[in-house]
Amino acid sequence: MKKLTPVVVVAALLLTACGSGNYEATQIPAKPAPKVTTAAPPAPAKPCADGQDPLASYAPDANVPAPGSQMPAGTILEKIQNRGRLIAGVSADSLNLGSRNPITGRIEGFDIDMINMVADAIFGAPAPGQPHKVELRVISSPQRIPLLMDGSVDIVARNMTINCARWDQIAFSAEYYRSGQKTLVQSDSTAKGVADLSGQTICAPAGSTSLDNLKRKNPAVKPVTADSDTGCLVLFQQGKAAGISGDDTVLAGDAAQDPYAKILPERFSDEPYGLGFQKNHPEFVRLVNKALADMKADGRWQASYTKWLGKLGKTNPPAPIYGRTQGLSS
Amino acid sequence: MTQTQSAPQPATWSPPAQQPGTPAVQPPASQTASRRNAIARWFDGTPGRMRAILILAAAMSVVFGLCAAQGFRQSDGALTRAEENAAQLVRIQEIHTNLVSANADATNAFLVGGLEPPAQRQHFVDSMASAAGLIAEAATAQPADQEALGALNKTLLTYQGLIEQARANNRQGLPIGSQYLRDANAVLQNDSLPLVQALVQANEDRTADEFGAVSDGTIWVLVAGVLTLLVFAFALRWLARRTHRYINVPIAAGALLVLVTVIVGSVALSSAAGDASDTEADAYADTLAMSRARIAAYDARSNESLTLIARGSGDAFDKAYQAAAGRVEEQLSKLSGTAADSIRTDWDAYRTVHAEVRKRDGAGQWDSAVDLAIGTSKDPANSVKTFQAFDQTSADQLTNTSAAVTSNLSDSRNGLPPIGWLGLPIGIAAALLVAWGMSQRLEEYR
Repeated sequence: MKKLTPVVVVAALLLTACGSGNYEATQIPAKPAPKVTTAAPPAPAKPCADGQDPLASYAPDANVPAPGSQMPAGTILEKIQNRGRLIAGVSADSLNLGSRNPITGRIEGFDIDMINMVADAIFGAPAPGQPHKVELRVISSPQRIPLLMDGSVDIVARNMTINCARWDQIAFSAEYYRSGQKTLVQSDSTAKGVADLSGQTICAPAGSTSLDNLKRKNPAVKPVTADSDTGCLVLFQQGKAAGISGDDTVLAGDAAQDPYAKILPERFSDEPYGLGFQKNHPEFVRLVNKALADMKADGRWQASYTKWLGKLGKTNPPAPIYGRTQGLSS
Repeated sequence: MTQTQSAPQPATWSPPAQQPGTPAVQPPASQTASRRNAIARWFDGTPGRMRAILILAAAMSVVFGLCAAQGFRQSDGALTRAEENAAQLVRIQEIHTNLVSANADATNAFLVGGLEPPAQRQHFVDSMASAAGLIAEAATAQPADQEALGALNKTLLTYQGLIEQARANNRQGLPIGSQYLRDANAVLQNDSLPLVQALVQANEDRTADEFGAVSDGTIWVLVAGVLTLLVFAFALRWLARRTHRYINVPIAAGALLVLVTVIVGSVALSSAAGDASDTEADAYADTLAMSRARIAAYDARSNESLTLIARGSGDAFDKAYQAAAGRVEEQLSKLSGTAADSIRTDWDAYRTVHAEVRKRDGAGQWDSAVDLAIGTSKDPANSVKTFQAFDQTSADQLTNTSAAVTSNLSDSRNGLPPIGWLGLPIGIAAALLVAWGMSQRLEEYR
């Protein structure tokens, strides 16, 4: 037995000597489970509870202050004037509506012209060569209403459709453009309309009316969402979406960036665009409606339209509808 | 006690031992019995006892030699592996730094517009190239990291593809470029960096384990040494009582040899372990803190750009900036020395510029804030310049501290006495001394 002990010890030694220096492989972290997009059933188009026309806004009246004059005390207009700039929530990636020009770094487009018009209505037109007194905040589609409601932005111009559900939360200007929903597909697609796209993945920005309309129009399509219109275009280019559903204005911008995309002629909804405001400042809306009416009347609207959206065909500015009374909406 | 018990044994067992030759025609069973008897006779009486002690002491000497060698090899190996793992960790941290620095370039270039400054573009390309080279190097250096590094490589292919698409679109003035940039940033943040962090964690753990294992070698030398010395002491005491001589010189010399080896070995090993833990607490800790500070700083720089790109809705990025800047300061506060002071000064200069960027952006002067962030403003200090200064000083300091880790560890390794390969010869020498000393006494029984 005594003879065996050293043998055992030596064997143990040799074993332990070889054991060190081999490490367990580095653990690859588990990927977080992909977010499940809950395909909630579309909310039915909500009839206006107060019986008012959704397109009806506050009529401009004699109390509307002139551009550049002292704004009435205690109003949001005075606050904006004292701040020295209008804070606007806009898009930076919808070509021709509001997009950042990568060459100059400036955000420009049809929506931005509207914002500049509003700023001029408060501060007066800037001297030649001077910028309009605006601060543009880039916001995503789902952020539009929350940021407006918490007061982070004074106004939103981001291809926002006027509807009753939104009137419950915010206020709208008179309609400044009549868009409609269309579908963008690959240039070799044989589809004539949304009905032919059953079973295919179609992208729409999360929280947009386009998404709801699409689900209503053809419940058999597989909707995927992105945070923005451009996010949809990336999915389209990567082959993760067979098409994009959205406003013709946005799709025109998308198609201009991708020669392998085409827009189907079928237009299956009316999307009246309005500027968004906080709910309790009708004096601001009145001022903007007056400026908007002036812009439509003196040809500036037409000029801006031709510059940015002229490719969509000739059109006239939508006629304003007024007559909304405050405080009656539920 | 052993003496009184074992003394009568030879008397009772001697008679059967005296008739080995007579039952020659017996079956094999009794043959083995007779062989066992022969062995028993060999260990018979006082000479037998001497032989038994000789074998025990000699075997123990050899075992001691092996243990001493093992202890040294273990400590030496732990030092080598600590050095290698620390080097691997520095490599991974450098990959991390290269990635966040490339991403900071890409996001900052996007603020500039379609025409990126060529130097910034070059810095991006260099950072990505150096990350790719380091990944290959790191995969060779540590096989356990290969799988994770492979996965990292895959995410970087996606990242770089998206960045190039963003650039191509940006160059044509198409707004979709910004979306590709955002996606690229998301791939880096959500796919690549968690892998890098897992690699950093694994290598930090390995290095810490090896630093802790440097002192383990001492246990082998001490335990085996004490046991061997006990056996030697027993042998000397037994011989002194049996032979009425005070000391057996060769065995005492063997004991002395073992004792000296134990003392020299354990002193050398514990001083190496002490050096190693000093290195761990100083140079290695500085290297870790410096790497982390640099990574957090690039992260902060990216978030500065992203906050501006988001134009007013970048609160989340601004919070991320604040968090990253907090990490930078936390790590910098761990550093000591004059070099650390100048790094802190450079960082503070950058933070001052950043505060000005935020102030201008908050006041609605977005263009002027961007000018400051991309280095095109007329102000004497801008983000680009101050950040470059921080980058430069901190990179120099990182090179110094990581070189210090390597040289300290290899110094303490080279300072070890060569017991790793001398251990077994020492054990054999002690065993021979025992055999020599015992054989002198055994002679007297012939």
